[in-house]
Amino acid sequence: MASSRPPWIWPTAAYVHIPFCAFRCGYCDFAIAVGKDDRQDEYLRALEAELTRLGSPQRIQTLSLGGGTPTHLSADWLDRLLILLSRWLIVEPGGEFSIEANPANLDDEKIRVLADHGVTRVSLGSQSFDRNVLRVLDRDHAPEDVPRAVERVRRRIATISLDLIFGAPGQTLEQWRADLRQARSLEPQHLSTYGLTYETGTPLWKRAERGEVNPLSEDDELSMYETAIDMLGEAGFEHYEISNFAKPGYRSRHNSVYWANHAHFGLGMGAAKYAEGVRSLNVRSLEGYLTRALSGQPTEFQSETLPPHERALETIGQNLRRAEGVVHSEFQEQTGFDLQTLVGPAIARHVGWGTLEADDDAGVRLTRRGRCVADSVIQDFWKPPAERAT
Amino acid sequence: MATDPKLIRNFSIIAHIDHGKSTLADQFLLKTKAISPRDFQAQHLDSMDLERERGITIRMHPVTIYYETHRKKYELNLIDTPGHVDFGYEVSRSLAACEGVILLVDAFQGVQAQTVATAYLAMESDLTIVPVLNKIDLPIARPDVIIPEMEQALGIKPDEVIRASGKAGIGIEEVLDAIVERIPAPSGSVDNPAKALVYNSHFDTFKGVVVYVRVMEGRLHKGQKIKLMRHNTEYEIQDMGQFRPAMTTVNELIAGQVGYFVAHIKTLGDVHIGDTVTDAFNPTTEPLAGYKEPKPMVFSGLYPVNNNDFETLREALGKLKLNDSSFTYLPESSEGLGFGFRCGFLGMLHREIIQQRLERESNLDLVQTAPNVTYELLNRHGQTIMIDNPQKVPDSGQIEEFREPIGKISFLVPSENIGDIMKMCADRRGTYIRTEYLSPTRAILVYEIPLAEVIYDLYDKLKSATHGYGTMDYEIIGYRPADLVRLDILVHGKRVDALSTIVHRAFADTRGRKLVKKLRGEIDRHMFEIALQAAVGSRIIARETIAALRKNVTAKCYGGDITRKRKLWAKQAEGKKRMKQIGQVEIPQEAFLAVLDTSEEK
Ligand SMILES: Nc1nc2c(ncn2[C@@H]2O[C@H](COP(=O)(O)OP(=O)(O)OP(=O)(O)O)[C@@H](O)[C@H]2O)c(=O)[nH]1
Ligand code: SF4
Ligand SMILES: [Mg+2]
Repeated sequence: MASSRPPWIWPTAAYVHIPFCAFRCGYCDFAIAVGKDDRQDEYLRALEAELTRLGSPQRIQTLSLGGGTPTHLSADWLDRLLILLSRWLIVEPGGEFSIEANPANLDDEKIRVLADHGVTRVSLGSQSFDRNVLRVLDRDHAPEDVPRAVERVRRRIATISLDLIFGAPGQTLEQWRADLRQARSLEPQHLSTYGLTYETGTPLWKRAERGEVNPLSEDDELSMYETAIDMLGEAGFEHYEISNFAKPGYRSRHNSVYWANHAHFGLGMGAAKYAEGVRSLNVRSLEGYLTRALSGQPTEFQSETLPPHERALETIGQNLRRAEGVVHSEFQEQTGFDLQTLVGPAIARHVGWGTLEADDDAGVRLTRRGRCVADSVIQDFWKPPAERAT
Repeated sequence: MATDPKLIRNFSIIAHIDHGKSTLADQFLLKTKAISPRDFQAQHLDSMDLERERGITIRMHPVTIYYETHRKKYELNLIDTPGHVDFGYEVSRSLAACEGVILLVDAFQGVQAQTVATAYLAMESDLTIVPVLNKIDLPIARPDVIIPEMEQALGIKPDEVIRASGKAGIGIEEVLDAIVERIPAPSGSVDNPAKALVYNSHFDTFKGVVVYVRVMEGRLHKGQKIKLMRHNTEYEIQDMGQFRPAMTTVNELIAGQVGYFVAHIKTLGDVHIGDTVTDAFNPTTEPLAGYKEPKPMVFSGLYPVNNNDFETLREALGKLKLNDSSFTYLPESSEGLGFGFRCGFLGMLHREIIQQRLERESNLDLVQTAPNVTYELLNRHGQTIMIDNPQKVPDSGQIEEFREPIGKISFLVPSENIGDIMKMCADRRGTYIRTEYLSPTRAILVYEIPLAEVIYDLYDKLKSATHGYGTMDYEIIGYRPADLVRLDILVHGKRVDALSTIVHRAFADTRGRKLVKKLRGEIDRHMFEIALQAAVGSRIIARETIAALRKNVTAKCYGGDITRKRKLWAKQAEGKKRMKQIGQVEIPQEAFLAVLDTSEEK
């Protein structure tokens, strides 16, 4: 019954947040819990309570576990977590079950637990193969942990993705090239390259504000980004999303749900959900989440239903991140708006500037230059109606 | 109740801004029980929202109170006046309705520029001055220094100065007694033909136009057929009364009294401030002298961000005009900004207030161009034309003589800052006139400076040069020829008319350079490179480029939480409301005002 509804209304994907981390990395502004490992059992109970509110087990296409560090706790705890999840979130045959993992603490036993529970994809937070860069980023693993982890995972789990960060203070273009070469040589099917963001309030941001670290120049960041596009393209990776590269057939299906602006469940502290047109967000503190979940209260602290017009604009913003961009027919069906009527002038402007390319049948997508300034392009679609009058 | 003219006293309270006029008026209201402590609020007469918010008086406020002394009941008509120089004309209007003034001087700050300016106005009108040293309650009050200063600057006899505090309620009765004893009763006779001065008016949503009058001769009464002498227009008095401070109906106002009447007058434009009211059947032969209307001296273009709002803006301006006849507006159009209005203001504060009222009362997003003064131009055909908009400057070949308005500025500053002030004036093409010392530590410095150099930020600069202790006052003394040119700005190859300014040729290059540099900081990077050029005629004098945006991309939308991102988009879109799209370039409101910032450092 539920499955007869379109995927932008009723979720076919679920995200589960595991907030535990050994310590907080300087650049991190995720919802995490440091030094709270003693709350692990309560967390499972809280998750169970939240899952119970789903009413009945849900069949889904993709399940993704992120954090925090989902692999931070013991193999035994992981086992109990996955048993719990398997009772409520049933990944359909052929579906994607993916987990984020830290190369430093992913031992064989944990890998066995993951494989036994049907995990199909491991995304390793390798970030860099340069000791200095890892230090600036506060990462607790060593460069050599990554190849070891890759090797161990590969014995049991088919798909591997590596996360890389570029643009760390002090990083050179040469170091970044070396990172990309190393990553390629490990032959993952998927790679994410994230430009370092100085999120307001993080320790790294404060250091930058005080002038203790120097963010790279815009030009340096840009050439790193373009280098990634080139080097990974040569190695046969498709640049299928602004920060993501995949060998054919290995795109992240779970993340594609977000970029399609489709519905998804979200469970755990700080998780975002989107179902039946309502976006909501769980409380971001561990105490708050545990208290609410365990006392049977809703775990969401904010929720909103967007008017159709804004939902359509939001869809454009998400879709444009993908290589295929906004696809006319899909967009019309999903939002009820005709793309051209809604934002025709903005599209025309950007086509003129070489940041978008459009064709009448397929749709509109960012050009290579457009990807480098994606935020400004997307922003342009949010202009108040005033400018359309001129 | 017929009041004996001998028991009437009419006076204004005048002072430099913030020296405590409205607070002293409060004390009068309380002391004479015109208002009960329960209904009272500080600066009671400042009734407009903006007045209350800013804590300053913008309009004059007349009020009638009754004071008993020596077993007689006196009718006191007092007018609280604004201290800010933009509203100086309200002071002169008030004075014409009075026989005396209370001149307040802050016991700490002492004699300031508007103290001198308003005191001179009162002397020129032969009014009796009751000098009051106010805020005597302040621990830092300096009567020993300030009283000699008053003597030196204004010839005030030290023994006439009353020490008071409007805030602490000190010396209030003494001041009231001095009003009764020192200020003469009005001299008119009830038996003469009616003659009354229109000294103000306001628009009341229920009553229509309310005309403020001071009866000089004869009487005005309800039902009377009256004539406004300026255009010989006749009306019938429907209602009349006094401000006590609430509008209170009376049946007649006799020679010497102050009050208001309502007579089915449709718009404020039909009433001329300074006009004489007389009886339609028994008119006086001699109208009163009246006064000059204040002329707007600062102009700027006001444009709706959304062109569809043009009519809404017109309506909003019309509504405001009902309440404030001192500003002007005329439709104009600009290539870049579309359709809007050229508005004239009395000064920069006036301009700011009008804009705030517009935005607040009609919920419009407005773009405002840099303010300019009115120039005078003699063309080759021997015609003199007024230029209130840089766009109207003809080709240089057409210009015989270009003239600019000159202001005479009196600075009242600590002596130690005289050097800085002189430098500041020299930088602004000022001509030194004279220095007068009030005391060894304070001096009045008089300069003639082109008005264009005065209006923008001279006041702020004065304040910073004197650590807040300097004050200034100015009056416009006429036009003088100058070597002026129009400085144009080209954005992405297009001249943006709204960014043009009129400058002295000698400063055109420096100012052009500063301006494009400033603009570079105001305009965001776009998807393409933007050239900014400054030009005089066809000569490009400065150029800057805004590089194309190269990188702006968020790496990651974390865990599907796109709410945050969307809110950011929406917020930034909101911020864009104040941008004007000119060609392909978005220009923020700040950029149109960028001209102001460069005006000081040349
Ligand atoms: N200590 C002290 N403060 C006073 C006194 N009178 C006024 N003030 C303060 O001075 C400030 C200005 O007072 P106002 O009465 O608004 O001054 P004003 O002259 O009417 O000001 P404008 O109408 O703007 O020119 C306020 O903060 C008052 O509280 C006084 O006698 N003593
Ligand atoms: S491991 Fe990841 S989630 Fe944990 S602190 Fe570091 S960046 Fe944040
Ligand atoms: Mg006041």
